[in-house]
Amino acid sequence: MAAPIRILTAVPICDGHDSAINTINLEFIRHGIEVIYLGYHRSVGDIVRAAIQEDVRAIGISSYNGGHIEFFAEVVDLLRKRGASDIKVFGGGGGTITHEDAIAMRRKGVEQIFFAGTSLTEMTDYVRDNYGKARKKRSLSKSREIELARELTEIEGTYGKGKRPARKRKIANPQPPIRNSKVIGFTGPGGAGKTTLIDELVLRILLRQPTARIAILSHDPSVVGEGALLGDRATMINSQNDRVFMRSMATRGQAGGLSPATHDCLALLAQSNFDYVIIETVGTGQEAMPFQKNGIVDLTVLVMNPDYGSQLQLQKIVMLDLADVVVVNKSDLQRARTAHSEIEQRLEQNRRGQRLIDTVAKRHRDPGVDRLFDLISADRTR
Amino acid sequence: MSKLGRVVEAVEKYNRFVLDQVKRARTDEKFGRELITRWSEAKAKTPVTHTPTGLPLPRLALPEIDEPGEIARYLFGEGLPGEFPFLNGAYREMYLEPVRENELGSYGRNGDKNEVAAEMSPANRSKVPTRPPRQSRPPEEPTRLFSGLMLAEDTNERFHYLTQHQRTHRLSTAFDGPTLYGIDSDADGVFGKIGEGGVAIDTVEDMVRLYDGFDLGSPNFSASMTISGPAPIIMAMYIAAAKSRFGSKVVPKLRGTIQADIFKEVQAQNETIFPIEASLRFLTDMVEFTTRKLPRWYPISISGYHIGEAGSTPVQQAAYTLSNGFAYAEMFAGRGIPVDQFGPRLSFFLDCGLDAEYIALARVSRRIWAIGMRDAYGAGPRGQLFKLHTQTSGRSLIAAEFKNNLTRTAAELMLAYMNATNSCHSNSADEPFTTPSEEWIRLAAHGQAILLEESGIFKHTMNMLSGSPGMKAVERAVEAGILDEFREIERLGGVLAAVEDRFQRSQIQNAAHRYEQQIYDGTRPIIGLNRYRNGTDDIPEVKLARTPRAKQQLQVDRLKKFKKKNVEKAKHALDKLVDVVERGENCFPALLDAVEVSSLGQITGRLQEVVGRFRPMV
Repeated sequence: MAAPIRILTAVPICDGHDSAINTINLEFIRHGIEVIYLGYHRSVGDIVRAAIQEDVRAIGISSYNGGHIEFFAEVVDLLRKRGASDIKVFGGGGGTITHEDAIAMRRKGVEQIFFAGTSLTEMTDYVRDNYGKARKKRSLSKSREIELARELTEIEGTYGKGKRPARKRKIANPQPPIRNSKVIGFTGPGGAGKTTLIDELVLRILLRQPTARIAILSHDPSVVGEGALLGDRATMINSQNDRVFMRSMATRGQAGGLSPATHDCLALLAQSNFDYVIIETVGTGQEAMPFQKNGIVDLTVLVMNPDYGSQLQLQKIVMLDLADVVVVNKSDLQRARTAHSEIEQRLEQNRRGQRLIDTVAKRHRDPGVDRLFDLISADRTR
Repeated sequence: MSKLGRVVEAVEKYNRFVLDQVKRARTDEKFGRELITRWSEAKAKTPVTHTPTGLPLPRLALPEIDEPGEIARYLFGEGLPGEFPFLNGAYREMYLEPVRENELGSYGRNGDKNEVAAEMSPANRSKVPTRPPRQSRPPEEPTRLFSGLMLAEDTNERFHYLTQHQRTHRLSTAFDGPTLYGIDSDADGVFGKIGEGGVAIDTVEDMVRLYDGFDLGSPNFSASMTISGPAPIIMAMYIAAAKSRFGSKVVPKLRGTIQADIFKEVQAQNETIFPIEASLRFLTDMVEFTTRKLPRWYPISISGYHIGEAGSTPVQQAAYTLSNGFAYAEMFAGRGIPVDQFGPRLSFFLDCGLDAEYIALARVSRRIWAIGMRDAYGAGPRGQLFKLHTQTSGRSLIAAEFKNNLTRTAAELMLAYMNATNSCHSNSADEPFTTPSEEWIRLAAHGQAILLEESGIFKHTMNMLSGSPGMKAVERAVEAGILDEFREIERLGGVLAAVEDRFQRSQIQNAAHRYEQQIYDGTRPIIGLNRYRNGTDDIPEVKLARTPRAKQQLQVDRLKKFKKKNVEKAKHALDKLVDVVERGENCFPALLDAVEVSSLGQITGRLQEVVGRFRPMV
């Protein structure tokens, strides 16, 4: 079974028309394609960086606000400049892109333009026919980022559907660890605000540690039929930065909030000269501690939503005993005070020195997130 | 309970009140007689008009009922046109030909009230006015066309061309992508977007050029600006531009509309630049300022159009638009602005498609708004009016056999006028594959003229098509649907909480997906696409006017010059602005100072440092 096709989709800068791309994304994943969705109003730089880091086969751009000839061409040019011309560009824009425009765009290296009236089936077939075959051997890239992205693809590829590879992978050419990465794992139920919280932490690292580099390994569930919508990048506005290497992974059939290949990918990232490696699970249930067995994670953060239900429910959350830091996010909600004291009581019983922090991650410059940042970066800001 | 919960209660209570009145009319003889007298008087007062074939018709048609209970049901449940709860219309007469002197009964002259509503215009090209046609009216009046292209001087030239034969100058402005996102034309990666799809505005100097030659303080002038994310900054630029040309005396005379609808941006249109709460705060700052200093300005156009176009069901569209409106009203009242000051300055914008709901969607919306504003917010008569601009559905139009779109739009227009919209825009048939061309824009505008002026459907009699059993059935179902949506939003903690929970957004996306699925499996017939398809592609090859690179470069150069000239002053003004924002005061006056010396992008950038950027919802 070949690995699913990975493509990136996005809407250009100054364009919020995401209705078409939302529908197309759903159709793609229904047909087994993994879609990394970057969202609307995205710059050329953001799109190309994401495509390279995610090592996608192609970029699909949905443009409805004009300026498409320039925009598509800039994407193709920047890919070429970065040495990533093997990533192809296609797209559409309903009636806003004329046939004449499309000819000009093809001349500038765009592979395909879909016009108004193209069916979803035609688009899906196009992607499968053109980007579904195994890639030819790629020559070694000079770019460390590209090489890292490709190695991650290779690791993911060696894990079939839920199977482990026959022998343990050796990491090729690990970078000499000038400084150790700090590996932080984030887990917690869906809707607790993990993604927003991580993005806000990234913003603080970028602002306060001018040379720090960050890797993020983010997970989203695969749906039946193998596809997945990997949409964390769309909301992580601060993490679209040259000092951040972000990779989105689909769980590809594995339960527990991580992918079969996560462990190896994480091991690789931890040796790749980042100051911080952040890993985020899918929104998980109550029992598992996804990082337990890995042994790579230095610090585990459990992000809770104050609306977890009764205290009885709380007793069932095993992760509360295992996490190093518990964050009650959305602490502006009415129930947050109750949640804080209930959780505090539980942590005190554990006597493990676990920390409890209240945050409102969606709030700009939230002091709770500042505290979490201080805690995480305590040994980094010497 | 949030205010929305109280609106639900108010509507339920009002419906019970209507039933009580019906019962009382049937049991209380005196009350019954009063109603019959009132009813007979209303009929007697109605002037008779004569159609070109000599047919006599009343200018207001009323149901043929003489039983007090049914009269009560009509008068309280629907209201005569122009009377609470406004189901049949916001005004007593709409679309009618002027009364001829010999026909003028005691009913009186038709007020020119409609002008109030006709002056608001969100996104509208080719709009035909709904005021009664004047005798001396030229055969073709393009009225207010939505326009915005290339640079300010190009749009200005177009505005002058469009209004050259018009007595009133009502301009409707479309902005380019960078402006809509609060970005400067010299920002990275936006060069190709300068002046595309709308006009490029970076500075107050552009704003001066944009409306040059128009008398901004004249009662015959109004400007409409279709922009939401950076609306307060653009509004400040407009005021600053007006002041620089006419002095500060002009400010209270300024008339127009700015869209400024943040909720629908977050729910559907995605042109939000600050986090929601900060956006709402800047909006309220602006509304507080304009209601006090520009009493004739409409500082918000609450828009369901984009919600509908993004794929919502009609009931969702009406429910989200109304609940957004009530949430704004709650915010403005919370700021201490009197409801009778801001209430009359709110206007609405809805989509009209082909689904059955559209037979009565706007009628029901008008009724719910009136009851909610009166009974939950304590608004007086002027603050109860749901002043509506309608646009036919762009999404219902398709590229395949596109001439069918004329029929689609005509049917939608018919529905829009059956709902007594205050103004309407009809889409061009060629929209699915290109920016509308002159030929199809003309046909779209003519469609309205044919309905309103040529046909006898709307020009002789109010209520010509109101109140059929089918329409009543739709009204009941739609009202129940809207109230259910309100209850769901209320359950989630009110509009803001539901928005942050991305409730409306995901509901809209689900509906959009279902719609596509229905087209795909054929349960939603689309003629020429999944039914009666003839296979020929008759799309004409079109050539679009694009902004030349030289013009785009000119805009960048001018902006750079402006920035260079104002380096020091801008720093000072922006520091002051940030200071006011941090202190939590109304920042609009500081914004007025800031726009004099700093660009849109500079202001957006500094504000984002303080309040953060909008985090998109997927």
